[in-house]
Amino acid sequence: HASDGSDTMRVGDMQYGNGLDPRGWSPLMTPDADGMSWLHPGMLRTPSGALYPYPYTLAGKPLGQGGDWTYWGLLQLGYIHLGGDSDAEFFRQYTDWKNGAVLGLWAMGFDNRATGGYVEFRGSRISGDDQYYRVRAGRYGHYKFQAFYRDIPHTVSTNAFPIWQGIGGGDLTLPAGLTPGGSTIAAVQQASDAAPRRTIALTRTRSGLSLEGQLYRDWIGFASITNEERDGTRLWGGPMFFNFAFPGTGSPFGGNGGVLETVRPIDFTTTDVNLGLRRVGKVWHFNALYNGSFFRDHKSTLDYQNPFLITNVIGVPNAGPVVDGEYSLEPDNDYHNLRLELSRQLKWRGELSLAAAYGTMRQDDALLPPVNCTGTLGFAAGPFQQLIPCELWNTPAALSRTHANARIDTQLFDAKITFHPGRNFGWHADLRYYNEDNKTDYLAYNPLTGQYGYISENGSQGSVVPGEVGIFDNGYYATSNVQVANVPFGYRDTLLELGADWNVGTSDALSLVYTFDHNQPRHRERTRLDEQRIKLSWVSRSLGDATVRASFEYGDRDGGAYNHDPYEAYYSASLPGYTPADGIAPTAFTVDAMRKYDMSDRKETKARVILIYPLADSSTVSATFYGSRDRYDARIGRQDTRSTGFTGEWDWQPAPHTNASVYIGAETTRLKLANVADNEAIVGAPGSEDPSFGGPLYPFENYWHDLDRERDYNAGITFAHDFGRVKLDLAWNYTQSLSQLDYDYASPGALTHPEAAPLLDGSFPDNHYRSSTFDASLSFPITASVGVRLFGRYQSGSFLDWHYLGFDDTLVYDHRIYTDRGPQMHYRAALVGAMLSIRL
Amino acid sequence: WSAARAQSTQGDTPAPATSQSSGRLSQSDIARMLPATDMGAGDFRKDNPHLHQADEGPATPFDAAPIPHNPLAPQADPVGARTCIACHSLENVRASHSLHVQSFRAGAANSGPQAACESCHGPGSEHAKNPALAGSIIAFTHGAAADVHTQTAVCLGCHAGGARQHWLGSVHEARGLSCSDCHNPMARLSPEGVLAKPSINEVCATCHKDIMVKFHRRSHMPLPEGQMACTDCHNPHGTLTRPLLKTDTVNETCYTCHAEKRGPFLFEHAPVRESCLNCHDPHGSNQQTLLVAPLPMLCQQCHTMTRHPNDLQVPTNLGRGPNPDERLMGRACLTCHTNIHGSNNPSGSRFHK
Repeated sequence: HASDGSDTMRVGDMQYGNGLDPRGWSPLMTPDADGMSWLHPGMLRTPSGALYPYPYTLAGKPLGQGGDWTYWGLLQLGYIHLGGDSDAEFFRQYTDWKNGAVLGLWAMGFDNRATGGYVEFRGSRISGDDQYYRVRAGRYGHYKFQAFYRDIPHTVSTNAFPIWQGIGGGDLTLPAGLTPGGSTIAAVQQASDAAPRRTIALTRTRSGLSLEGQLYRDWIGFASITNEERDGTRLWGGPMFFNFAFPGTGSPFGGNGGVLETVRPIDFTTTDVNLGLRRVGKVWHFNALYNGSFFRDHKSTLDYQNPFLITNVIGVPNAGPVVDGEYSLEPDNDYHNLRLELSRQLKWRGELSLAAAYGTMRQDDALLPPVNCTGTLGFAAGPFQQLIPCELWNTPAALSRTHANARIDTQLFDAKITFHPGRNFGWHADLRYYNEDNKTDYLAYNPLTGQYGYISENGSQGSVVPGEVGIFDNGYYATSNVQVANVPFGYRDTLLELGADWNVGTSDALSLVYTFDHNQPRHRERTRLDEQRIKLSWVSRSLGDATVRASFEYGDRDGGAYNHDPYEAYYSASLPGYTPADGIAPTAFTVDAMRKYDMSDRKETKARVILIYPLADSSTVSATFYGSRDRYDARIGRQDTRSTGFTGEWDWQPAPHTNASVYIGAETTRLKLANVADNEAIVGAPGSEDPSFGGPLYPFENYWHDLDRERDYNAGITFAHDFGRVKLDLAWNYTQSLSQLDYDYASPGALTHPEAAPLLDGSFPDNHYRSSTFDASLSFPITASVGVRLFGRYQSGSFLDWHYLGFDDTLVYDHRIYTDRGPQMHYRAALVGAMLSIRL
Repeated sequence: WSAARAQSTQGDTPAPATSQSSGRLSQSDIARMLPATDMGAGDFRKDNPHLHQADEGPATPFDAAPIPHNPLAPQADPVGARTCIACHSLENVRASHSLHVQSFRAGAANSGPQAACESCHGPGSEHAKNPALAGSIIAFTHGAAADVHTQTAVCLGCHAGGARQHWLGSVHEARGLSCSDCHNPMARLSPEGVLAKPSINEVCATCHKDIMVKFHRRSHMPLPEGQMACTDCHNPHGTLTRPLLKTDTVNETCYTCHAEKRGPFLFEHAPVRESCLNCHDPHGSNQQTLLVAPLPMLCQQCHTMTRHPNDLQVPTNLGRGPNPDERLMGRACLTCHTNIHGSNNPSGSRFHK
């Protein structure tokens, strides 16, 4: 049918609202006092038992004399004023609150009762970075057209103090007073203290057009194009090698390495094209979909300056300061996906459904040179002739090829057959095949030097540690085991599902589904992963008026042999000329007992009960109970996750002019992981090649584990009542999350600083996130078509995340400079506003 | 159009009116069946010049609109909307604001306005004779005698295919949901989508409140702020994936908004390319950026390696501790391995560049 929307086939832009009115429609929700029917009081319920809301007063007015068009409209204009900590991150995370005039809602609709033609418009504006305008028009059963423009804000931090100049651009330079590659800690501290507070945020500006309609007889087509400009900043990094291993020893220049939290630009354009063609015939349903997505990054590099003095561990002067760092930001990419779907109705209420899709994602950006340094980095002393001549690495001529030529192709095939031979019994079978083929093939080889590998961390690592530049050759770096090629990860997944369902009596239904998932990862620790799942579901309408939906699921995953190091072929140890240092094989890649959680054996249990219970005529109680347990067969890695929760809600709507609701929720989760610290004293010495857990490199006494537990509590109340002269709306929403991280270890050998063991009590400080939001509004009419709405919001919250402990005092820690102090630990923000509503 | 023909081929699905066996009713037949009063419905309409007047034409032409078969009233005949409105006058007013009934009014299904009620509720003569008899028409509400399959078959009579191509066998179909659990075409309760509640997210929250509360956590997608809907990512009518995602995989759904993560990159991070869900909970998290565990523990679930990744991080390594450690503070591992979603830099194999 041409009036069927294809919206739920396309990702995104299904919702137009904002912080003032998440629904984007609330001002039009004026329940009509007459209700829904003269024949019965109250409202009917959904088949599952939830109450439908009372219908709203939406009568249109004739447009002109004697025509078939009617219209309705509403214009809300007003002013909002902010108070308190209105720049708190959690107050404005996705809403760009500002003092000033706002367009609450502008909505208009036009309908032609004779032709089925319609035009609808909705728009709202909080600020230039937080607004939407959307028009839909068409004729029922024939075509529809949509156009929209919207700005969506996202604030990441309002508490950032970057020291660099050029924030928002691709070239961060140090301010006057700092010497690139040679500043004292005091100078960096001074620069940090003097840095102005900034907001790290971005805005998504989206616009789109779509058209859908009947093309020929029962062929329906649609076409849409959307464009997004994403503009702003995000917190970013800047590695100049470790600092933790080389703390300051009293020098005004501090210790070694450099760890920089920088700010990157966001300057993206993404254009999406969607085309669709479908035909719904008597027995055949055909669907063809094309999605093309074209991403362009207008700032594809980030260059930054390093303030710290990088020195080497052998104590000789470096050949030159490490000044420049660089990131490749995301490359432009093109994506195409074509899907064809065909289904045929069969007897016994059966259906055969086939689907096939081909996708490809590609990018061929010009590659940056391995470094952007100038001069010479590194050092030369005795046997350590570790100089890095930048001119041999800072040019595209240093690359094995100049462009990425990266490509991943995907194929999907799905075949499903369903039958319901009787009203009480049905079965289905589904076979799904998906393949992801990574065709990218890159060799890190420098034709100028004849060396393999790369320059690690902007040359800083090679300026600190002998032998660790990132390069392999047959000379000085012959013992260096570094990555020399990309790993083209991909997988092939085949899934078979068999299911049966039967109705037990008229009010109960059971279903049983068995799934076998055969996954074949490429270049991973396992070449085969098999998971069998069985799911039992029960839907009951036999428990009074209640509807209960319950399910229990058990999954068991295992697979082929686990290879803890499948990457050998991509490292220089596999190249001719590699020479083990002192005749010792390369250091073990990782511990053999590690089981990465996407590759490990796993037993999973899930259960869920959803209850909807009509309580008397005007209220509903609903509840959800759920839990999951995942046990991973891993001595090292993720071992166990659990989640148990409950939500309960009561909705009450005794009359059109009154409604209320209360909800509560609680959830506990836990995650347990284990790991083992290596015995760094033997790295490079005999035994370091041994990956055994319990061996000399990964001794049992360095074993440790973390247990992360979270408790979440939610509650909310809404109340609305129309007193006749005035309508009152109240809402309160509360969230509290507590996180506790405990740790344990076999011996202080698990720690970087074993001497700190006496200071430890087995727990991190508890993290928490609490938010309480209270909304109130009073609406009253002035004339038949003009009304006033007075509203306010009070939001308070508290927060603690140990990642940021101390950052309020300083952002400089030896050779580390941070930018973000983290979200505010306490805040109270208020908003008041007045809105004039005019019915058009 | 085609829906009518589609239905005629299905053994136990609704059949078009022309195939019904008991013959057409005349207008006088219908008049005799009607209650003695229209409960003032006519007066109500007469007083409001803006309301569409009930059609005075022939009762049941239905030459093209499918009138679904009601298995609980197999002998029922169509009676036309005018008859229905005689009692259900207020329902008619409410439905007049709904896209669904408006389209019938405008003849979108080549049906004429008289088909507006019975195209969904089935032929109404038995109901008109005995309004209290359960099952005499197809009802779509709680306690309806019509089973869920009968209800959904009515809707799919016109709305099969397209976004509902994979309804059969979808989790919502298997759980016995009816279309009217989420939609209500009898009144305009939502800006679009003829929903059963004022917004998409409220509809989904009817059953999935546990998911909705996650959007109130520290990091979340902007659903509470009105910028997104569940259906931006999920198609509740059924798809080719178990979580009802609209695209072939989880990642392709995420790439739709986060196209920069699509790459492909010169150097890929295996779990990233495999599934975004390995590290992120898209609904909400108490960690930064939707992460499923605190950094660096998230990374330490997979990385032992040698030297720096495998040390136990403890509070003494925090900013206020005696041994501040960049592997724990701030954005932890990501401060150096920043391009964690993949690097396109020739020196980026460890995502430093």
